[in-house]
Amino acid sequence: MTVMSSLARVLAAGSKTPQRVTLYRHLHVSEQPIVMVPIILAGETNAPLAVMVGSDPGQPEVIVTRQPRERAERLRFAERLAGHLLFPIASMAATTQRVDTRRPELSVRATQAPQVWVPNPAGVDYVRLLGRMTRFRSSEGPWAVAPSVRQLGIWLTWLAEQAEFADSCVLVPATRALSAVWATGQSDVEDGNLAAVMAWLAPPPGMAIIDAARRAEDPAVCPPAGPATDPTFDRLFLQPTLRDLASAATELARRQVLHRLTGMLVEQMRPTWDLVWQAIDLLGAEPPAARVARRWERQRDRFTAFHHYVSDGGYPQAKRDNAVRGAQRLAEMEQRLASFDAERAYDDPLVLADYRLAGEAFAGEVVASDPHRRVRGAQRSVTRPLVTVTTTDPVRLDVGQQVHDPSRNGQRALITSLDEATDGWIVELELQDKMGRGRAPEPGSVPAVGDEVVYTALADTFVRRGRAWPARENIPWTHGGPPPEPVPVPEDAVEDWS
Amino acid sequence: MTRHRTGSTGGHPEPLLFRRDRTSVTKSPSLKGSCWQILESSGECASFCRMAETMDELEDLISGLRVQIRRALANGQRAEVPKLRAELHAAEQRWDTGLQEIEGSDTGQAPLAPLPSGASLLPMREQVHQVLTLLGAPAAPKLIVAVHEAFNGGELVSAKLTSLRRDEERSFRSAPFARPYYLCSALAVDQWVSVRGLLAVSTWSLDRRMIGPLSPRVDFLSGAIRLAQHVERTGDPGPQTSRLLWRFATNIPGAAESFGSARPAAIIAAARAELEVHDAADRAQRKAAAEAARRRLDDVQQLFGAQPLRAVRSAD
Amino acid sequence: MTVIDDRLNAIRGAAPRKPHNARTLAALAANPGCRRRTLMDAAGVNKALIADRLGYGMTVGQMSSIALARGKSFEAQVKAEGGNDLLRLLRLHLDLPTAQAHYHDLNPADDDDRISARLRRSQRALEEAARASDPVGTMFDHPILQLTMNGVRVHIEPDLIAFKFGDRFHIVEIKSFPIVDGVADSGKVAAAAQQAAVYVLAMREMLQTAGLSPELVSHEVILVCPRDFSNQPVAELVDVRKPLASLRRHLTRMESIDTLLPILPPSLTFDLVLDATGQPTRSPDDLAASVAQVSARYSPDCLQSCELAGVCRAEANGTVPVLGRVVREELGGIDSIAEAIALATGGRVPDDSQREAARLLRTAYQMRQQALEAMR
Repeated sequence: MTVMSSLARVLAAGSKTPQRVTLYRHLHVSEQPIVMVPIILAGETNAPLAVMVGSDPGQPEVIVTRQPRERAERLRFAERLAGHLLFPIASMAATTQRVDTRRPELSVRATQAPQVWVPNPAGVDYVRLLGRMTRFRSSEGPWAVAPSVRQLGIWLTWLAEQAEFADSCVLVPATRALSAVWATGQSDVEDGNLAAVMAWLAPPPGMAIIDAARRAEDPAVCPPAGPATDPTFDRLFLQPTLRDLASAATELARRQVLHRLTGMLVEQMRPTWDLVWQAIDLLGAEPPAARVARRWERQRDRFTAFHHYVSDGGYPQAKRDNAVRGAQRLAEMEQRLASFDAERAYDDPLVLADYRLAGEAFAGEVVASDPHRRVRGAQRSVTRPLVTVTTTDPVRLDVGQQVHDPSRNGQRALITSLDEATDGWIVELELQDKMGRGRAPEPGSVPAVGDEVVYTALADTFVRRGRAWPARENIPWTHGGPPPEPVPVPEDAVEDWS
Repeated sequence: MTRHRTGSTGGHPEPLLFRRDRTSVTKSPSLKGSCWQILESSGECASFCRMAETMDELEDLISGLRVQIRRALANGQRAEVPKLRAELHAAEQRWDTGLQEIEGSDTGQAPLAPLPSGASLLPMREQVHQVLTLLGAPAAPKLIVAVHEAFNGGELVSAKLTSLRRDEERSFRSAPFARPYYLCSALAVDQWVSVRGLLAVSTWSLDRRMIGPLSPRVDFLSGAIRLAQHVERTGDPGPQTSRLLWRFATNIPGAAESFGSARPAAIIAAARAELEVHDAADRAQRKAAAEAARRRLDDVQQLFGAQPLRAVRSAD
Repeated sequence: MTVIDDRLNAIRGAAPRKPHNARTLAALAANPGCRRRTLMDAAGVNKALIADRLGYGMTVGQMSSIALARGKSFEAQVKAEGGNDLLRLLRLHLDLPTAQAHYHDLNPADDDDRISARLRRSQRALEEAARASDPVGTMFDHPILQLTMNGVRVHIEPDLIAFKFGDRFHIVEIKSFPIVDGVADSGKVAAAAQQAAVYVLAMREMLQTAGLSPELVSHEVILVCPRDFSNQPVAELVDVRKPLASLRRHLTRMESIDTLLPILPPSLTFDLVLDATGQPTRSPDDLAASVAQVSARYSPDCLQSCELAGVCRAEANGTVPVLGRVVREELGGIDSIAEAIALATGGRVPDDSQREAARLLRTAYQMRQQALEAMR
């Protein structure tokens, strides 16, 4: 959290209305989102109890385990879920477009990528664990499962891995997506409850926000968004029903209990299902930021590449990263986070304001401009306009530092002098690039006197991996040496279950 | 966007309504409309929609009652709960009946699981006696059940074993030594009270039924040896027996060879090696405790344990 | 002592005492500045019932009955047959010699087994093991320990204590959350470590009283969890020095009950005055007035650890702490939301302590307005 978002929370609490924290939506919202509302059996390791899944808000598919404590049933559950998830993934991967690129392996791009919505970050953990539980299952041998179970595991793992990156949008927890755009007048603890966030953003008709937020905390009317169920529900209704299920003596009795179980689980999931769709609609109606489309392209590239890997019979992801893979992932995470931060700041004045407050960016008015100034370069003289800006922002930059102009495609400028004025700073900058090829700068490429300008130390450049990592066979012994091929071992399949 | 939308697209859209037949969103949504399709698509019941209206009403009633029960509990009106529970139960039964009518023929009346083929016809105490004799030491119900399933293929319910000891004690008190054996307690060496959750056989010497700090380990190791010897004698173990042996082997250093496999001979050797370390100390403790107990306890107490001496203890 | 006890009993009223456990102690240490909680916990007040009566009932810290059952069955499995699974893990992690396989069952012998009797039995067994010249004890199942907390004695019950002869005692925590591929949920591990730290502290206190070295208790506790998706137990050593240090610090910082009681009105009580059917008859307004006499320190984290959180949140309505720790820290020195807004919009002149925060708020507000206007 930052000063700007703290301020937004304070304003929201004071005015009892939600407040924006960004002007634009920085998340791509798919036209064909897939929503998943899972619930699990308390106390077990990700034992699926039921899930609501699908792409049609009015017609959720419901999958209920027939016996959550049985291994075979959990896998059958995964198989049924695979039926609903793998088909959209495959059909999205099947529709591709050609793209111009110097990298031949990326010459096609899927026109769509899956976007799976879960209610909250715990839903992301669910996806990760379900992926881990299923991706090593074998379709042969004594504990054979349908091949789709393993495929599901590989894809769920990919989704969960992608969700660790700040700029990814293939697996989206609804609470976070909402909090990225709006501040409520409650704390982030309350904001972890989807119903409580939605109480602020879209209270039931005729209900005051404060009453709606109170109501959101009553699990009797707003069941928790899962995957954990409400303890009171467990004690009063779920536990007795599971007991009935275990003791059902006839097929008919078992079916009756199963129907009853389905009924009560649907009651627990449906309100959350509706809220997630409502959240998607809210976000979808927001104007997207300029660079959202570009990020979505990159995401589709990753999806396309991974789809190729899977269709070439790629192995399931290893249980643990080897040293190089771990370092790579960490570096990639940092780099993608940095560029995501920069892109958002470039696209969104409200995001940029945070950097201005921190002194890493400033906005001001041009008071002097010398667009035709030339200086002697290494071989010939070059255009280096000088621009003087006054600002009231609390600038914390240094002379000699490089800054960028987001409105001129990230035009570089060097700070040549920095003087404190009565009410702020006077900054002199020397522009470096993006002025065209001619002797004189292209019109509009140099700000004129009276222009409002913004400069920031953030660079919007998508840096490719700067370091060469050793190939897996060259990992030095100090870092564990070359890892073994991640071949699934039978032990994974015979893994004892609770 | 191509998706169907019912909400406005402003900053605060109306909540979306997905239910076709109801308009209130504050009520817990229930299983209707779309849901029946779910059940159909999962192949569970195809002809559900016919009765949908009355079933709908029942479902509303059921979910309403669930909320009422929770409310009553939350507001401290516990007195209301039994009545609401009864109403809920009745509604669920009507719903079950409705379901049965819709499903029509009674295809589901067949009992669910036939008795396991290997089910023994012996009374339970006999089966427990067999297992304990095989193990040769006091054991907890869970272990007795596991050994029974592995060697005799039948099923025992471990919950029933707990009441077994009480029944035996009653029988002994009314007619002491009338039966050839009783299933009795193991006794703690320090207070001679019955050890929680262990079953033993009355014909064993009191030493064997005494439990000191090392006894659980000693009994575990000797049990492992006896099971392994039994497997050696009877030959090729089935999968369940192998699994049980392996479970023992993993907890004895040097007994398990590779994942999921354990040779009886290796188990015996490894268990003997460790037993060597504990046996003398354990034996001495058990013997001393048994001698003292024999002098101080009557027959019933020797079999089923002394009463804890609370008054004396709190005075020291 | 008796004066304090009498006073605390009066504050609790007729309701049965709600004893502390390691989890509540750890939670208390998380918010040591809250007088309301300190007092109610010391008096053994059932905070959930108070909250219910005030109309702010919450289901805080409730464990699902299903999860509890599973936790119990996992613990029973780990300890089955004299702790054989556990012994394997202890041998692996502590390098326990083969001769050490003792198992002391310190569970209640029956329903009448009093806690004081169990405490004595536990002390005797543990001290004997520590003093003996040969190994006589290895695993102590559910011993009772005692901890003095701001003048009130509290009994706690670790899952198990392991002793390596000639070395140290280790607290063993058995939890049913999984360790998947060597990684467990960090929040759950931290909570387990905090709980274990309470046990370490209590056991050290016990040894010290017995004239033994507190250093006999290791700061490394053994966490036993199911592996991956199985029921197979695995163990990890967890260093609890940090939670131990913070627990100690909080315990010393915590206002002692005997300094707190004199400043409270002598008639103070949270008695709900139950009628014959167990229904509270105390008027909520009257009860609320009593609750308000003891100051609270609300933070949203309370929502996860204190049954009274709903009451305190409502009371704190309109103040900055309601919005969370980060907001509170960023607006250091400003307590009221209305005041923060007035400072941001320039409707109010900051006092000296607020100047820095106010300047930032004012600038932020102007930038915000600028950006929002540009959007329109």
